[in-house]
Amino acid sequence: MRAFDFATASTVSDALKLARPGSAFLAGGTTLVDLMKLDVMTPDRVIDVNALPLKGIKLRDGALHIGAMERMGDVAAHPVVTSVHPMISRALLLSASGQLRNMASIGGNLMQRTRCDYFRDVTSACNKRLPGSGCPALTGINRGHAILGTSDSCVATHASDVAVAFVALEAQVVLRSSDGDRTVPLEDFYRLPGSTPERENVLGPGELITEVVVPTLSWARHSTYLKIRDRQSYEFALTSVAAAISLKRGVVQDVRLAAGGVGTKPWRLRAVEEALKGGVAMERTFSDAVESAVDGARPLAHNAFKPSLLKRSIVRALLDAAGVR
Amino acid sequence: MIGHDVDRVDGRIKVTGAAPYAADTKIPGVTYGYLVTSTVGRGQITGMDTAAALASPGVLAVYTPFNPLKLFAYVQEQNDERLPPLQDKEIRFFGQAIGFVVAETWEQARDAAGLITTTYQQQPPITEFPGRTLQKFDEVEEVVGAQTLGDITFTASYTTPFQHHCAMEPHATVATWNNDHLTVYTVSQGALLVQRRLSETLGVDPVKIHVLSPHVGGGFGGKWGNWAQVPLACAASRALGRPVKAVLTREQVFAMAGHRPMTRQTISMTCTADGKLTSIVNDGVTSRGLGGNWSESVANWTLTTYASPNIRVTKTIMPLNLGAATVMRAPGEANGSFALESAMDELAEQLGIDPVEMRLRNYATLVPNTGKPWSSKHLDECYRRGAEEFGWSRRAKQVRATVDGDWLVGTGMATATYGASRGQASIKVRLYPNGTASVSGTAADLGTGQYTVFAILAADELGIPVARVRPELGDSTSPAAANAGGSNSTCTNGPAVQVAARSVQTELITLAVTNPRSPFHGKDPASIVYRDGSVSSGGLTMSFGTLLTTCDVGGVEAIGTSPRLVDPEHGYRSFGAHFCEVRVHRLTGEPRVTRWLSVCDAGTIVNTKAARSQIQGAVVMGIGQALLEATEVDASARFTNANLASYLVPVHADVPRIDVRFLDHPDPLVSGLGAKGIGELGIVGVAGAIANAVHHATGVRVRDLPITLDKLLG
Repeated sequence: MRAFDFATASTVSDALKLARPGSAFLAGGTTLVDLMKLDVMTPDRVIDVNALPLKGIKLRDGALHIGAMERMGDVAAHPVVTSVHPMISRALLLSASGQLRNMASIGGNLMQRTRCDYFRDVTSACNKRLPGSGCPALTGINRGHAILGTSDSCVATHASDVAVAFVALEAQVVLRSSDGDRTVPLEDFYRLPGSTPERENVLGPGELITEVVVPTLSWARHSTYLKIRDRQSYEFALTSVAAAISLKRGVVQDVRLAAGGVGTKPWRLRAVEEALKGGVAMERTFSDAVESAVDGARPLAHNAFKPSLLKRSIVRALLDAAGVR
Repeated sequence: MIGHDVDRVDGRIKVTGAAPYAADTKIPGVTYGYLVTSTVGRGQITGMDTAAALASPGVLAVYTPFNPLKLFAYVQEQNDERLPPLQDKEIRFFGQAIGFVVAETWEQARDAAGLITTTYQQQPPITEFPGRTLQKFDEVEEVVGAQTLGDITFTASYTTPFQHHCAMEPHATVATWNNDHLTVYTVSQGALLVQRRLSETLGVDPVKIHVLSPHVGGGFGGKWGNWAQVPLACAASRALGRPVKAVLTREQVFAMAGHRPMTRQTISMTCTADGKLTSIVNDGVTSRGLGGNWSESVANWTLTTYASPNIRVTKTIMPLNLGAATVMRAPGEANGSFALESAMDELAEQLGIDPVEMRLRNYATLVPNTGKPWSSKHLDECYRRGAEEFGWSRRAKQVRATVDGDWLVGTGMATATYGASRGQASIKVRLYPNGTASVSGTAADLGTGQYTVFAILAADELGIPVARVRPELGDSTSPAAANAGGSNSTCTNGPAVQVAARSVQTELITLAVTNPRSPFHGKDPASIVYRDGSVSSGGLTMSFGTLLTTCDVGGVEAIGTSPRLVDPEHGYRSFGAHFCEVRVHRLTGEPRVTRWLSVCDAGTIVNTKAARSQIQGAVVMGIGQALLEATEVDASARFTNANLASYLVPVHADVPRIDVRFLDHPDPLVSGLGAKGIGELGIVGVAGAIANAVHHATGVRVRDLPITLDKLLG
């Protein structure tokens, strides 16, 4: 850990004024403080945003509004969330541990860094941490790494669960800077690594996430968030699937699908969604529709099982969401 | 009192945080040492620039191979590093200690350590373990004509990865000198191991080294040896004239404080058509970290488990550029049993014989490799009682035959055995005027329940409540008792506690008849009876507390010694049988353990509550070994997942209810107490039982641990 300035902001505009290149906003600290201890993140100024008035969970204008400073645990337990979008609650409860969920904020969750063990070790090269230094994960230990959206520079998996649910539900993030607010679909908020894996999202310097807006979906109760991992709790996903499905007399009317644990960002599965529409909700239909989920997948030495596991996970999630066997 | 559920006497101070662990030690004026570690896996250090670190705030000293603290060569083998730190410039493994920064605060030491730049002449590290693959292994190959003793043959190879102990408490040492006397507070599985090692490497008379290790937050073998922070903290403290505290980070614990080696076993067996083994060959391969000397005799479990007229085991060692491999709970046996118990299951299936029946048909009534009788063995009762309670007879004959919703259900079983013995131990028991007693020995309680064993056995002999006995462990000035390793603590220390508690009664009676203030003064000692905490004679009864108070003495004490067991005529082991149920999801393949029963034959059980916990904990660790735990090494020779988020140990959700039964047949030969060891027995066979249950559920045989879902997707 390196020496740094510490500042506390009580208003959003204060926070924005305190921000400068090389500064970092501190919310729950469950990623930032960890990575500062490891020297992976070395901000010269840390701005505590915990006192900012970015709280509140409300249903307004056909959308669920979640303040960026709401804690994961509070969002997961909120009755509006559990009734409007149970998938969000489920994704949160399958994340981290109770202690971490009590601290980590929703805004911070969307900003969490990858669990790639090369990113987290400063003795290793890493293009995300030290641009141009190389990517040992390509040829090293890569069982947990991504198969979709990867590049020759980076194969790091995006770690968030709730972001996968948000992308399936077409959530937007509200970003505030000194120029005012802008709203970006979460799917477009994240960048693919390409040749610049250090740039993970479209946030400008000193820009702050203030809110997540999730449109309501009349059939959102027929949904699930499935997380597959070796350990039954307190582990990041090998694969995860956010699925919501609308059925009429057993026929798929509409469907939302996104995957985690496999992509360099939360991965919306539009081609699979299209293939499912109009089909009879049954295992055979689901199995036939999932092939396109792994289009463009680039498996590595140790994660060659992930395309198969992803397809199987989607089928399982659809069976759960549709309530059919 | 022996053989009942007794709460841990140290339970309350542990759960309230009052128990002092090494890193909790507070000494005025303490300084902090931070280890600098190598960032390459093999080579020579050509230079270290420490100028910036030395100029950094609060820094008192920077020690490196260019400016070392003098440490003499290690003599006693402790399954840890071959060489003391900083005495040479060779890099044997990634994460090797190459520097020690001492500063006024821990943060200052750590920050200064980060300012040191090191140059190396690098060589490519050796990290490849031939024959291991992340892919599923091939199905069984039949070997025809390769062996001639039987008419059925079977051959298969089984592999296991690197694993780490992951004790909750990281390695910590606090050293302080008073003139030429050293006091050291450290993690350890035996205070005498620390004293001996420090005496050798510091060149100090052992009587001038006082080691204190009263509480240890888990050891599992990883705290048997004395890793780099121990000599460095002590030597730096001597050089600086200040107390020094050094605590390893979790990453440093993974890199330099020992690991379970990687192994491969190739088992070939022949048997008659009715399943009687005619030969067993196990060719074992083990890695050895070049930081140390130790390697695992992984095939040796095969020597003593099943009856066969021909048994041969071999051992091949693969040296790798890694820190020392070391003992980890049931070293050899935990990995060895995975292979043989899997192979027995495979052979039983090939023959159409039930796995329990297969084991009974090959029951070793004598020690297989020596032909000697056992001191005691009730393994057949473990099998039968386990099968009965578990409902084994209802098991489907075919694999992949039981389905519950989307889950494939299977059951499996395996044998557990672990060596038993009795070493020499001395224990002091002292009686006090307030009616209490203390029991002391250098033994260690790693969370095992040894404190409570001392209290129970002393209370039982003295006839007083457990609450009136104060056990004192982890102090090198106490009489020499057993270190905590090899499942040896209770079987070695227990008899010595009994001897000491009986001897102190004699001392008390002597006092009673010789002290002029005693109401028993002048009586024939033979006329005095000690019973239930009191002495009596001729109608007069007095508690020992009252007697000591009346005589106005501070106490009486006795040291009792129980000798090493020397019995060339018998084989000594603890035994058990595990039965489990596993579920595997038909689509996504994740294996989950859902039922568990272990039946153990470990002689006298002193405290059934802690013993049950001990077996349950070992089964949990075995579930980790079977399904989750693997430390990965890449070409740089770094353990890449050296943290507790990436190295997976079981969480509560992974662990079902674990039922444990003890047969409670005292071993008549091991000691008067009749207790054999249980610390390691519980993990032996767990991975095999799970692998067998996974096969029964899915039809897939996984011979490479851990059994992760990718190996079951088909």
